[in-house]
Amino acid sequence: MWITTILAAMGLCLGLFIGLNVPIILPEGYAPYLGLAVLAALDSVFGGIRAGMEDQFDNSVFLSGFFFNILLASGLAYIGERLGVPLSTAAVVAFGVRLFQNLAIIRRHILKK
Amino acid sequence: MKKGMYISLLITCCVLGLLLALQFRTTTRNMPHDRPQVLTQELKQLEEDYQMLMAEKDNLQTKLQEIKDGRDKTYEVLQDELKKLRYAAGLEPVTGPGIEVVMDNMPENKRPEYDPKLFSITYLDILRLVNELRVAGAEAISINGQRLVATSEIRNAGNFIDVNLTRLTAPYIIKAIGDPEKLASSLKIKGGLVDTLEEWSISVTVTQKDEITVPAYAGPLELNYARPLQKGEDQ
Repeated sequence: MWITTILAAMGLCLGLFIGLNVPIILPEGYAPYLGLAVLAALDSVFGGIRAGMEDQFDNSVFLSGFFFNILLASGLAYIGERLGVPLSTAAVVAFGVRLFQNLAIIRRHILKK
Repeated sequence: MKKGMYISLLITCCVLGLLLALQFRTTTRNMPHDRPQVLTQELKQLEEDYQMLMAEKDNLQTKLQEIKDGRDKTYEVLQDELKKLRYAAGLEPVTGPGIEVVMDNMPENKRPEYDPKLFSITYLDILRLVNELRVAGAEAISINGQRLVATSEIRNAGNFIDVNLTRLTAPYIIKAIGDPEKLASSLKIKGGLVDTLEEWSISVTVTQKDEITVPAYAGPLELNYARPLQKGEDQ
């Protein structure tokens, strides 16, 4: 349990460090897609934590879900932008709802222990 | 199994951190994302303003040019007027067709039995001659080089005749610009001035000339008492 937490914190710190120091600055127009990607990634991570707590964790499902969700969310937003339909809102709602559900379940698991 | 989980956790957290950092930097960098539209609108507005101001500039320049032209024209007109008035007032030498009248006393040996003073030219003779010339339309008159202007006098001063405060002696050469025929005939008319003067034993020679030059008035032109009437002042 502690190892996972430490690993997660380490990975997060490493990613933040890299992201803050990379000389790439994304163009203004990509901000909404990147935001959705972040949301999808958060959802996947919390889903993974929840699966781990329920002892249902599958590594391949977690990894594929993580990257696939990121790409899907961004792609959906992009398509919505092209079509003139705010599909990004749908992604935000879907991921947001799932995020809160996962968080709620994790909270309960922690409280049960 | 556990090892794979740790690695995937590390990777996913790393990617998450990376995305978070990138997004954070993108959104907090500065401007809102409708900035291009705002800027485009502003640019359009400024371009319109620029066009308007350019048009206004052209308009104003045209006006300025018109005013300049008008000023130049006015200046020319005033200059012309001034020149004309200077000619008319006798401040410029003028030339043109006219006549030359030479008045002289008879040689004294030709009038032995009279008092020579009695039959010499007086200011009245010259005054009458000038009057005749003026009536006949003389535009410029000079007596022995003294141009007659508005303030000129012709009067006796002892044995001399004063014109423009200058002493003149015989022979008197009077030049007048005008229609030579008219001027000459006004003097030579039968029973006219020339006849009268010759009866008084004064020799008068009238010569018509195609080109005669009358000099300018050289005296001072100062008005010490007269001043122009102000606008609205009662007469």
